[in-house]
Amino acid sequence: MWNDAAQHVRFLRTRREFIRDGFCGFGSIALAGMMREEQARAEAVNPLARKAPPRAAKAKSVIFLFMAGGPSHIETFDPKPLLDKLNGQPRPKEFGEARYQFVKKDAKLLGTRRTFKKHGQAGIEVSDLFPHTAACVDDLAIIRSCQGDRVVHSAAQYELFTGRIVPGFPSMGSWVTYGLGSENRSLPGYVVMPDPLGALEGGQPIYSNGFLPAVHQPTLFRAGQRPVLNLDLPEGVTMEQRRETVRLIRGLNEANPLPQDDEFSARMSAYDLAFKMQTEAPAVFDLSRESQETFKLYGVGREPTHDYGRRCLLARRLVETGVRFVCVVSGGGPGNKQWDAHGDIEENHLRMAAQTDQPVAGLLHDLKRRGLLDSTLVLWGGEFGRSPEAEGGKGRDHHNLGFTMWMAGGGIKGGQVVGATDEIGLRAVEDPHHFRDIHTTMLHQLGFDEDELTYPHLGRNERLTLLRGEVISQIV
Amino acid sequence: MLAIKKPGQNKCSYALIPSSDASTELVGVEQLLTIMARVTVLLAMLRTVVELHSATIGPKERAFWSFQPLKPSRAPSVTNSTWAKTPVDRFILAKLESAGLTPAPPASRQDWIRRVAFDLTGLPPSPEDVAAFVKDPSPDAHEKYVDRLLSSPAYGERWAQHWLDVVRFAETEGFEYDRPVSGAWRFRDFVIRSFREDLPYDDFLTAQLAGDELAPQDREMQIAAGFHRVNPVRRNASNQDVSATRNEVLTERTDMIGAAFLGVTVGCARCHDHKFDPITQKDYYQMQAFLAATQENDIPCVGPDEHAAWKSRTETVNEEIARLKESLKAVTGEAEKRLREKLKETEARLPDPLPSLASIKNDPALLTPIHLLKRGDPERKEERVGMKGLSVLLPDGAKEMPPETPNPRTALARWMTDPRHPLTARVIANRIWQHHFGAGLVRTPNDFGANGDRPSHPELLDYLAGELIRGGWKLKRLHRLLVTSASYRQAVLNPGVPDAKARASDPDNRWLSHFNRRRLEAEELRDAMLAVSGMLDRRSEGESVLLPVDSDLVDELYKPTQWRVTEDRSLHYRRSIYLIAKRNLRLPFMQVFDQPMLQTSCPRRESSTHAPQALEMLNGRTANELANAFAARLKREAGADPRGQVERAYLLAVGRAPTPAERDLALEFLKRSPLKEFALATFSLNAFMYVE
Repeated sequence: MWNDAAQHVRFLRTRREFIRDGFCGFGSIALAGMMREEQARAEAVNPLARKAPPRAAKAKSVIFLFMAGGPSHIETFDPKPLLDKLNGQPRPKEFGEARYQFVKKDAKLLGTRRTFKKHGQAGIEVSDLFPHTAACVDDLAIIRSCQGDRVVHSAAQYELFTGRIVPGFPSMGSWVTYGLGSENRSLPGYVVMPDPLGALEGGQPIYSNGFLPAVHQPTLFRAGQRPVLNLDLPEGVTMEQRRETVRLIRGLNEANPLPQDDEFSARMSAYDLAFKMQTEAPAVFDLSRESQETFKLYGVGREPTHDYGRRCLLARRLVETGVRFVCVVSGGGPGNKQWDAHGDIEENHLRMAAQTDQPVAGLLHDLKRRGLLDSTLVLWGGEFGRSPEAEGGKGRDHHNLGFTMWMAGGGIKGGQVVGATDEIGLRAVEDPHHFRDIHTTMLHQLGFDEDELTYPHLGRNERLTLLRGEVISQIV
Repeated sequence: MLAIKKPGQNKCSYALIPSSDASTELVGVEQLLTIMARVTVLLAMLRTVVELHSATIGPKERAFWSFQPLKPSRAPSVTNSTWAKTPVDRFILAKLESAGLTPAPPASRQDWIRRVAFDLTGLPPSPEDVAAFVKDPSPDAHEKYVDRLLSSPAYGERWAQHWLDVVRFAETEGFEYDRPVSGAWRFRDFVIRSFREDLPYDDFLTAQLAGDELAPQDREMQIAAGFHRVNPVRRNASNQDVSATRNEVLTERTDMIGAAFLGVTVGCARCHDHKFDPITQKDYYQMQAFLAATQENDIPCVGPDEHAAWKSRTETVNEEIARLKESLKAVTGEAEKRLREKLKETEARLPDPLPSLASIKNDPALLTPIHLLKRGDPERKEERVGMKGLSVLLPDGAKEMPPETPNPRTALARWMTDPRHPLTARVIANRIWQHHFGAGLVRTPNDFGANGDRPSHPELLDYLAGELIRGGWKLKRLHRLLVTSASYRQAVLNPGVPDAKARASDPDNRWLSHFNRRRLEAEELRDAMLAVSGMLDRRSEGESVLLPVDSDLVDELYKPTQWRVTEDRSLHYRRSIYLIAKRNLRLPFMQVFDQPMLQTSCPRRESSTHAPQALEMLNGRTANELANAFAARLKREAGADPRGQVERAYLLAVGRAPTPAERDLALEFLKRSPLKEFALATFSLNAFMYVE
């Protein structure tokens, strides 16, 4: 008998491991009592089978609208009149120090050219960059006091997605499918839709399953009609032929004189599921049955919103069919193709906002009218915000000490502002929330305490957060 | 299972999930027992924490099993006097007998030869080998075959992979730029050669830790020291965090050495004394101090003229790139698009890096003073320390060496390979055991500390560690001892122990009352497909191969030009260990079959089962290309007769003839479907993908 803390042991999964996987590390007494072994085993044949979280959950799925490169809080959700007044002056000493990647100590403050207005019943100020999102403000919990540990892209992206500043750890999406499985049997449980413009600094490891079993790896959707790798039949092979081949595989494996076990049955059901994915998934990717009105809502069919709108619409369709975690990336490729506005904050943010504002609002609206917003947590934000100081006159550098993210749906109480940065937007001074609090709050809405979702790795039971996070109680 | 929450603000405040044994399905009284167990465990943990924090290293800490000196152990006596073939078997049998279990009957010769061939070489046995072995009447048929495998070049390729997993080997730096580490593949080849030539493990360890110090003129030793170069390295534009990056690298290397060679999680002691193991924060930094003078050293493998010519070519192209980048700032739209294309083309024109090897050297001028860091923060330095091994393994009052001691890593290697050091031999013996039996005697091969597993057969582990040292640290001798044992020869199924009984008394098969079936690992699977289809290119060593992959994946690289597919297509069919290990682009085939992430040490792979694997085997590029080749081979070797084709396919793929039922199904299928589809199906046979 050995410690569960030591369970890196995973050759052919033993019966106990099957059950453990069924409970994903939170195999508490209550659950063990509730769920009979048979049931757990049946679920374990499909490792992505739906699992109940240990606590009552408000959200069933998550859509992360990732604004890669780091959108400025100062131009979007966090008005700073004093900063405008101090435009061109050095940062007053009383605001303290900050470390940037590029701008030097003697850089001058840069006011914003955006204008802010109060919106919604809550009367929350949002800038004119986001007229559509501003109209949804009563659904948003705007966290103006976010913080991360790093000021460079790759490390900050790893921290935002995996809770660690180094690559190698499982991403939020992998943790969520590990915890909850998927409600959909013909689609992957965790989908990432990168920006077709290109890659991000952190590369593939941002989204990775880390040390979690490969079943929890992200499925990266490619641009175009057939986004999933290997879902297309090879040239010259018909669906009918494929059906025959899968039947042969099943037949031969059953005729095999080897003693059968759970893993063999799991493998065979994986082939059945793969076949099902091939036949059923294309219908989900097919947007042609959506109405013109819906296209209009998301800005599909016109520039500059077409691409992000199409991906947001696809995200809704995925969530609708039970996919757990969808990440829709805005920004990719060289810095200025992301929200990474080093050179000219105006040019960059006007362009990026124009691509995403309507699709984001369209998604919120669409989820709401379909009754999906209650069970879908939408998270918006980047790996950091931007500096109050100017970089090269018109740009802003990375900045991790205080910036804005927002959450909506999935039981989040909207129409609220959480925390505040100081008067120039340099530092979160009121109710600061590190990424770990975002993670913890997300898990909370999904029915987990962060310690109820763990996996043994190199001598520790790892979890999404490195240090313990805090649920943002004001908004749940 | 239960989660104990630890106070909020501590670094490394991980949830712990202590002992639950088999009782995950509890109700009623058992619930109560669990709660009591929970309290007991909590108290025990609190005690451990309090004691460790209040005490220094004393006799009590030294008494922990893994820190104890190796105990001379003799094979125990057993009741069944005929089963055991080697001393190993008596240790196994003694535990089985005391658990009331009996060993499984031997596996069939077909199963055994396939098992041992994959275990030692990662490749299937040829049908001819199987036929010869099954018929071999000599009493030492097994031993002869094992010796053949151990002396085959494939052995080194298979076992090198296990070590590369442990040391998180990759040929690029990861993070944003994922720059290639020039010549990193030479380290991979060093590991392959070391296994092939049976380099004693103590020398293997020493070469990696300190090859550059011991033999600065010896190329092979420089390459071996590349051990310190295969880690992820963060480089950033305008990096103002040079000291932080240095700290990250030193930290990562120190942790790696602890995990790979000592099997201890020293990293936990970076911010505070280790909560569970007797490793103080000072111990941690004293270990790190051995690496304080270590700096990167790229040694060119060409003459000075060639080097100068390369440099001037590179500079010319770089200037052009800089110019283009400058002009990019001024343009938009079509003009921008054109310029970007041009930039891409120009970047692709950069000359390949010159052949060089990635090694290290000590540079006393750049020596990083090692301080205790408050909570691991490089900006909160406390006292400066010198070098020393872990206190718990040293006598009381052992002195630290001053920070400037020359050849520090040689000293570190000497300490680690001292035969009196209990961890080094135990840890490697356990790794070897694990790869033969599916799980280690200690099931946490990187963690022999308090949070790790306890050995199932402590006397056997010490016997094996002792044998290793007595045999001059030669690993092949240890392999032979294990795979010629009766324990290793057992079948997967044990009719003598009813399933229910085995489940109840030994659900994880710790006592080894039967053999553990295993799925082929990603590389084995691809290599086996190559071998079976007749496509495998057995050329050994050399530069890594880049296969064609989906362009969307390449576009996910920050610099897509880094993925330059190897032009000579014949190289695309080499064994998987020769495919490039690139941190930011792993092949979908490998990824889906649980290849580790190449970022942190992987002492033991996952083996998961899911639909994307099936999609890869049905629709993937590799599977379909090799199925075509396999079909062509079947036609070549068995002619046009479907019966012969099916027969040959089974012999090649699973090492036996098809059963009548299998044959009938296949023939029926072939009436309507092409041979290539049948070939594709054989890759998905359980009998192909698993080793019995």
